[in-house]
Amino acid sequence: MRIAVLLSAGRHPVSGAPVLPRLEAQAIRLAVGLGEAHEVVGLHAGPDAAAVAEGLGQGLARIEHLTVAAEADPVPALAARLAALAPDLILAGRRGQGGPETGLVPYGLAEALDLPLIPDVIGLAPEAADRLSLDQSLGRGARRRVILGGPVLATVHPDAPAPLAYAYGRARRGAFEPVAVAPVEVSPGLAAEAGALPAIEERPYRRRPKLVKGAPAGGSAAERLKAATGEAGASAGGRLLVQPDPDEAAREILAYLRQVGVLAAPRPTDDPR
Amino acid sequence: MTGPVSLTTVFPGLVWAMAALALVQVLRRAALWRAGAAASVPWLSGLASLPRRYLVDVHHVVARDGYASRMHAVVAGGMLAASLLTALAILPPLGGFRPYWGVVAAAFGVMAAGSLMVGARRYPVKKPRLSAGRFQILPFLLLAYALGGTLTALLLALGAGGIALPFTLALAAAGGLGLAFEVRHGPMRHAAAGALHLVAHPRPGRFAGRPDTALQPLDLDAPRLGAEMPADFTWNRLLSYDACVSCGRCETACPAFAAGQPLNPKKLIQDLVAGLSPAEPAYAGAPYPGGRDAMGGRGALIELVGPEARIHPDTLWSCTTCRACVEECPMMIEHVDAVVSLRRSQTLELGALPEKAVGPVTELRQAGEAGGRPLAARTDFAAGLDLPVLAPRGRTDVLLWLGEGAYDLRYGRSLRALVRLLRQAGVDFAVLGPEERDTGDLARRLGDEATFQALAKANIATLAARDFGRIVTADPHALHALRNEYPAFGGRYAVMHHTAFLLELIRAGRLAPGRLSDVSVTYHDPCYLARYNGETEAPRAVLDAIGVSRVEMARSGRRAMCCGGGGGAPVSDVPGERRIPDLRMAQAAETGAGIVAVACPSCTAMLEGVPDRKAEIRDIAELLLQAVEAGR
Ligand code: SF4
Ligand code: SF4
Repeated sequence: MRIAVLLSAGRHPVSGAPVLPRLEAQAIRLAVGLGEAHEVVGLHAGPDAAAVAEGLGQGLARIEHLTVAAEADPVPALAARLAALAPDLILAGRRGQGGPETGLVPYGLAEALDLPLIPDVIGLAPEAADRLSLDQSLGRGARRRVILGGPVLATVHPDAPAPLAYAYGRARRGAFEPVAVAPVEVSPGLAAEAGALPAIEERPYRRRPKLVKGAPAGGSAAERLKAATGEAGASAGGRLLVQPDPDEAAREILAYLRQVGVLAAPRPTDDPR
Repeated sequence: MTGPVSLTTVFPGLVWAMAALALVQVLRRAALWRAGAAASVPWLSGLASLPRRYLVDVHHVVARDGYASRMHAVVAGGMLAASLLTALAILPPLGGFRPYWGVVAAAFGVMAAGSLMVGARRYPVKKPRLSAGRFQILPFLLLAYALGGTLTALLLALGAGGIALPFTLALAAAGGLGLAFEVRHGPMRHAAAGALHLVAHPRPGRFAGRPDTALQPLDLDAPRLGAEMPADFTWNRLLSYDACVSCGRCETACPAFAAGQPLNPKKLIQDLVAGLSPAEPAYAGAPYPGGRDAMGGRGALIELVGPEARIHPDTLWSCTTCRACVEECPMMIEHVDAVVSLRRSQTLELGALPEKAVGPVTELRQAGEAGGRPLAARTDFAAGLDLPVLAPRGRTDVLLWLGEGAYDLRYGRSLRALVRLLRQAGVDFAVLGPEERDTGDLARRLGDEATFQALAKANIATLAARDFGRIVTADPHALHALRNEYPAFGGRYAVMHHTAFLLELIRAGRLAPGRLSDVSVTYHDPCYLARYNGETEAPRAVLDAIGVSRVEMARSGRRAMCCGGGGGAPVSDVPGERRIPDLRMAQAAETGAGIVAVACPSCTAMLEGVPDRKAEIRDIAELLLQAVEAGR
């Protein structure tokens, strides 16, 4: 089986030092944990391969580097290379760390390559007949096992096994392979759109106290804990829709987002309906 | 028909034959050492200082066990004297001179007495720390050679002989040739390898009266990093392991062994010996606790560490690098260097750190701090205290190195006490604030030399941009790295431990402590201060200056027992039957002291973590501050 692990330039959450995102290091561990019979290759699209050099010390023997400008969308270059490599499994972190962090690259790739995407994987095991078993984390300790035949793209959840230790000697022996990238045409319209983006203000992250909606002020400690962990109360009170009609599902989601204040309530004039 | 005349040649001839056989056996052994890596050895100075190294440095260690020391003097001295005298009797004027044989008989007699002393340690019951196996035959060989020698020399002296002489000579020959034969695999190897080891010792500084304890820097561009197999050790290290006499002194001193963790330094050294040697007799001493079966291959190119190899990884990660074994070893073997070499290969080449140590080492590499905490938070302990930060191009008298302990709530109290004492004494001091990175001590002891060197270089660059008189630190691990290990990377500083600095302030009259005469204190020596730096007096002098009644634990000073906090052992956390700090606190409790004085953040944390503790744990700075406040 051939496995590609997508690597991105990240930053340490505290020191800000350039590091390989933890999720991607965990992805490497999952991949090499399948055994030496499988070919594992790292794939990085960005201006500088050194940003992901740690991957070589954490289990990868080889990283392919696609030179892509810092601001450019890495998806087209990655999609082209992955189409050529045709791996049976593509692993990515569920989002970056300290870089753009959109969390959208795996989805963009799955769409471009027409692959199924299994999010939040925490375990991998080979199954008979070249199939794979993937354990997904559904949050709060809940798991789901998916068994399917490749090729497939999976993102890794933080609950996956911790990364392998960094071995300086291995990093020294590992190799980067530059891969030529066909220049991606940026349509003038897109470029103009990018230029027209409003200026972004950057501020250091500040942890804010978490407001627990509807937490009882009084009550026993157990009740307050229940409220805080969502075992009861608002977050547990959602509605379960089984195989809903897409329109209905979208309406439910919008209603929920408005309820929790992520989206503004519809102004009557804006409403197309 | 052999008469007394020809026997005066045959007997010396026997000794010459013994010497020849011993030489052959040594050369066969030396062929194995040649598998090791090259090492530059100052042969001439080594040879010149051999007598001194033996008579002063080795004797200093051996003499801690009075019986062993006397035994050794009598048996080895007797054997050397008797054999030399006999060998010289090959010259006819001596061999034909009957009173000469009287002297020889006396020398052999001394040796015979010594042989009995050797036997008394092993029969009827062997002391538990000694090894059995080939060592159990040793007293018989010694006694055969000594008795045979005594009788033969006596008969020659009396001019008697006749029918008895061939028998006594045969007895001497059996013992003597047996001893010479044992130079390759048996107990007598320690004599030959031990002498060569003293000449070619990898740390000659040890004999120059300074603590030569810094780990040797690893060339990160070398083709192989660390020691994976015997051939990765330098040849003089391989030789040094062959010098081990299986006396078990290291085993008795080892805290991990006492706690039932799977480490026995004697067995570790013997595994290095057996790993190299194709025909080593089976090990016959105490095993690694946990009773793992002997396994693993032999040869210069076998893997030494692994779940299926000779040395289990848990053995390697149990070591606290406390150097108690090195301190006790009469053969001057460097166990900690061996452990760290093996760890370097595991960590750097294989990434085989213990699972629990991966997190802290990763944070050290990525954030410059083992807990991954912001460097700026290091000074949080001093909230409300005035703690000046030394900016680039700034100048201060004393640079206070805070170390990792500053993040710890408990240890923050000790540091607050120290800062207040410095204020009281009007010391001009400052800290590096967010520019202070970890010294890399943890990474280095765990074999991650790459991370250590990166941190060392970053810290040295930070320090180079600032002007300060000396560094004072309350952390002996930081002290050891800054004082002894940074010079190899170009950072040379005057580094003082806070206890020494506080003593200086008291002696200069800048601190006027009152007396705390109603407290009884026992002082626990930190390994990295006492053994690594030879500093045992200043902390005691401070305690005496504040008038506490001071009691010593059975193991103190350079022979103190470790708290279990060094060498990354707390993060590796290899399970044992007991915990090292519990053992140490039990030893402290034996003194009846109400307070255990400490001088190291690791000791504070380890000893405070002991459940059912009867005594309080107080840093020397805390006690001194209390005395200073009482004196006002
Ligand atoms: S350094 Fe300490 S823990 Fe390690 S083997 Fe020696 S005595 Fe045991
Ligand atoms: S290593 Fe040293 S202390 Fe330990 S058994 Fe061998 S000679 Fe004795």
